[in-house]
Amino acid sequence: MKKTIYALLGVVVLGLAGFFIFRSINSSLVYFILPSEYAANPDNYVGKRIRLGGVVEQNSISFNDKSLELNFVVTDSIKSYKVSHYGAPPQLFKENTGVVVEGKFIDGNFKSDEVLVKHSEVYTPAEGSNHYDIEELKDALQ
Amino acid sequence: MIALGQLGSAALYLAAALAVYSIIVGTIGAISRDAKLLTSARYSSVAVFLAMTTAIVTMEVALLTSDFSVKYVAAHSRLANPTWVKFVTLWAALEGSVLLWGWILTIYTAILALTAKNNILRPWVLVVMQAVQLFFISMTVIAANPFITLLKAPLDGPGPNPLLQNHWMMAVHPVLLYLGYVGLTVPFAFAMAALITKQPGTEWMTQSRRWTMTGWAFLTAGIVAGGWWSYVVLGWGGYWAWDPVENVSFMPWLAATAFIHSIQVQERRRMLKGWNLALIIMAFSLSILGTFLVRSGIISSVHAFGDGPVGPYLLVFFLVLTITSVSLAILRWDQLKDNASLDSALSRESSYLALNVLLLAMVFTVLLGTTFPLIVEAITNNKVTVGAPFFNAISIPIWLLIFLIMGIGPLLPWRKAKEQTVIKNLGFMLVGGFVATIIAYFMGIKKVYPLLTIAIAAYNVVSLVLLIVGAVRPRALATGKSTGSVFKQYAFENKRRFGSMIVHLGVIIMALGIAGSSAYRVDQQIRINYGESAIFQGYELKAKEQFMERSASKISAGSIIEIWKNGKQVSTLKPRINTFGGNPQTIPTPDIYYTFKHDLFLSVVGEFKVGQSYTAIRAVISPIIAWLWFGSILMILGTIYALSPNKKQIKVKAVQNTTENKKGDEV
Repeated sequence: MKKTIYALLGVVVLGLAGFFIFRSINSSLVYFILPSEYAANPDNYVGKRIRLGGVVEQNSISFNDKSLELNFVVTDSIKSYKVSHYGAPPQLFKENTGVVVEGKFIDGNFKSDEVLVKHSEVYTPAEGSNHYDIEELKDALQ
Repeated sequence: MIALGQLGSAALYLAAALAVYSIIVGTIGAISRDAKLLTSARYSSVAVFLAMTTAIVTMEVALLTSDFSVKYVAAHSRLANPTWVKFVTLWAALEGSVLLWGWILTIYTAILALTAKNNILRPWVLVVMQAVQLFFISMTVIAANPFITLLKAPLDGPGPNPLLQNHWMMAVHPVLLYLGYVGLTVPFAFAMAALITKQPGTEWMTQSRRWTMTGWAFLTAGIVAGGWWSYVVLGWGGYWAWDPVENVSFMPWLAATAFIHSIQVQERRRMLKGWNLALIIMAFSLSILGTFLVRSGIISSVHAFGDGPVGPYLLVFFLVLTITSVSLAILRWDQLKDNASLDSALSRESSYLALNVLLLAMVFTVLLGTTFPLIVEAITNNKVTVGAPFFNAISIPIWLLIFLIMGIGPLLPWRKAKEQTVIKNLGFMLVGGFVATIIAYFMGIKKVYPLLTIAIAAYNVVSLVLLIVGAVRPRALATGKSTGSVFKQYAFENKRRFGSMIVHLGVIIMALGIAGSSAYRVDQQIRINYGESAIFQGYELKAKEQFMERSASKISAGSIIEIWKNGKQVSTLKPRINTFGGNPQTIPTPDIYYTFKHDLFLSVVGEFKVGQSYTAIRAVISPIIAWLWFGSILMILGTIYALSPNKKQIKVKAVQNTTENKKGDEV
């Protein structure tokens, strides 16, 4: 009798714990996506923290060294988004470089609090195409 | 002349062969109880150690003399590096790290072979230790041989990962971790020997207690050292990010902590036999699983060890060791059943049990959070990371509960506590916690978790006071001696108990440091023109000028910033960016003004251009972060104190020695 009660209690406690852990982990998942993936399903990421990967578009960087505001455009050659970031551009940050920015979309613009430069080499679309290979780009940035 | 690479490889092969010999002879000897074979197995343990020492020394000679015909040296060392960097390059990359791990394992095994008590467990302990080290040695030989000789030696190498040579802490942190991991191997080997020989009593754990505690202390030191390294090197001003690499060192620590507490129940009450075995198996296999997770490259981490060839080996080893040890435990299940059962929920043993459950919940949380991205990617093909909020949301409440038990547990007697005493003690502790919370609240601390941490810390401090008063006062009353002298005597005669109190005090101080430095951290990017100043959290930061320093191995460029407070200069910080040799990677290197109250941390952000008229810096204030390091030092010191020989034991030994001497005289 006593044992059954303990066992039942154990199951209930474990079930509850599992439920809360699962909810908690789901709400703190940070998805890593490219601009075109966001464009396909923007509703999925409302108010959620994400890691947006892509390439810094040519001629898109503007940095105000008085207010330390950095603006640039991240693209995967299918879709582009404006990114605003507070802080100095990190080392090796330049045009056509792979970056991952972490933050949230607010009204269609990405507000970032972290910019990671992923590779120092410059990305160029494959020959005979004006698109990056999306799968390859994602793998390279992850 | 023989090349260093060939010498090293030969030493490795010899070590592997000797380990195989030792396992076979040890097993046959243990089964047939052949003393000669067992002695031979014991001495071959020492021989394995000597062979591995030859390999390690060879590698160090190759590193220090920059012999670039050895592949590892060519890939990870550099002529211009200072000697200490060359020396620690041994553990700056995978192959050398595995070699070091194997070598430490052989040290422990050799010490065991020479000093372990001669009983039925010893031969099997050595066989298990040898099996584990054979795995490491053979992995070195097959998958990660650092001694491969290059036909054409380059003239110079690139040097180790710049992040690793940027701070001397890197020389210490990995070694401490390996000493900790390997330390856990010893109680595991004793546990396996106990299962094999059908001796599931307490002998295996009392014999391995010192090893367990030592391993645990090294693991603690290694993890904290890693946090400190992250704080002083990585430029974000934090020490713990729930990164997979940190998590996998934390999991075995949690399991080992549970084990250390739980074995006391078995020692005192002959309970939890199976549970304790499960804990040590878990602690050890988690250390291997963790190594696999971070070394195989299947989990992405900021540390990025890359996908080494050792992944499959570690995975196979993890599976083999887990399956073998668990099946062995199942085979002996009849013996592992407990005869006694809990007498009362209000007892020391039940508090240990609750602690066990909570620590295991922590292990599960960390394991889930660390491996969840793999699960999600396997099922949905989405790439995700689990953010720190998840780990914090689960672990902070669990830790608060653990501290609740940490306070009351040691005050509870074994078997059954008197309710009245418990209520009285709890009353004192709760009042202590309550008063501290009120004071903290009026001093301006309004956030929930810091307040709870302060409450629980005060509650624990009261508990420690009650423990000491409870032990000292009756004796002082009975003997009529002064409280001070009785306290001294108590502390000297009960080293294990008193040491544990020091460790717990360290844990409390650490918890306060963590709560303060994370809840009230201020992190801001500031731009200052040279010649001007900016105000940050009561400090005036005066940017003086740029500076550049060159040495043979690195170039440092940064800003000289004077720190003023209340019209007085308190410090000069030189946050900088380091570049090592030909490596293009630039390493932001923060500079820190340490105080007891808080740290002021400055790091250059962005590109550093010579002649630029301003500097952009990241300024971080971390309140009472020093408490974290101080608390961890107390934890280590407490463990050392608990392990130091008791006065009584020394006396007994001294008496034995004198009697032996007398005997000698008579002869």
